Amino acid sequence: MPRVTIARHILAANEEVAAEVRQRLAAAGVRCINLMSGPGAGKTTLLERSVARLRGRLAIGVIEGDIETSLDAERMEAAGAQVVQINTRGACHLEAQMVRDALEALDLQRLDLLFIENIGNLVCPAAWDLGEDLRVVVVCTTEGDEKPAKYPQIFAAAQVLVLNKLDLLPYVDYDPERVRAQALAVNPGLQIFALSCRSGEGLDTWCDWLLAFAGKSSGAAVSEAPHAMGGAVS
Amino acid sequence: MHELALAESIIEVVEARAEECGVQRVRTVHLRVGEASGVLVEALQAAFAMLASLSPVLAEARLAIEISPHRAWCEPCASSFAVEDFIARCPACGTWSTRILSGTELQILDMEVGADTQQGGHEQAHNG
Repeated sequence: MPRVTIARHILAANEEVAAEVRQRLAAAGVRCINLMSGPGAGKTTLLERSVARLRGRLAIGVIEGDIETSLDAERMEAAGAQVVQINTRGACHLEAQMVRDALEALDLQRLDLLFIENIGNLVCPAAWDLGEDLRVVVVCTTEGDEKPAKYPQIFAAAQVLVLNKLDLLPYVDYDPERVRAQALAVNPGLQIFALSCRSGEGLDTWCDWLLAFAGKSSGAAVSEAPHAMGGAVS
Repeated sequence: MHELALAESIIEVVEARAEECGVQRVRTVHLRVGEASGVLVEALQAAFAMLASLSPVLAEARLAIEISPHRAWCEPCASSFAVEDFIARCPACGTWSTRILSGTELQILDMEVGADTQQGGHEQAHNG
């Protein structure tokens, strides 16, 4: 039987749209972070605190991905971000096409940094390139402390790990060192931040790093490793 | 994980290629899927069968999936090793590897096409 070469990525269409998104953002001078986690790890609260703390220093836009409701977009707008809500109506991850459409509703010229808050899911979002510059995955102390070992793919696909809800450590059986070791085992280059959105611990380090990442830092180098958990190992 | 979306994308890519080459019947679509790509092969087969049945070009098509092993390269040992549980550490010398050789692919390789194909002039047809 005759064979015809195809030689394309299964998600070729998504990859092309992601490349277009990346190009548009780069042309507008906007850095972009794809923020991923399981449900309830604190993505939205982390963004809310970041936007509020960086108000006046960093113009942040947020594309909010949720299966239903615009609750998160309302929180983000109140914190002072330009925001677009995407409702996937059941789909478990965002795709590049949704991000491209959402860009139409944002004034990119007025942004320094764009967050794409992915659907709460530690599995599917890892496979879809959205046109971001960087992937951040959030875990928290009320989840089990074996998430990086159980869901290695998403930790392997990220560059930064945020460990949230540090304030609850006295009340839960959670070993942050175990999480750190597991995460670095699947991704030795991962940068790790430990913080609490509730108490504010570690948020300054995180926000300084965001400023540096967006090129708005007043001195701190982008490459400076976070300290809270010993920083990055390479 | 999201095999329905993957199947949709495969069909889109294959239909476009079939049209480009004047292919009317696709018999088999060959994929290379990495063992660390998170794809459930059975779920992908089921999703593909369902969606392909709705496509005139792909109605009789099946997926032939080659699983590629998750392997990395160890520089000091100058040899490759199997990556277990995403941990790319050489079992012989303990060195961490940053060079993944295979296992994360999501690739559509080629398609076997029916006898009523009108082969265009420019595309490659090959065996194996």
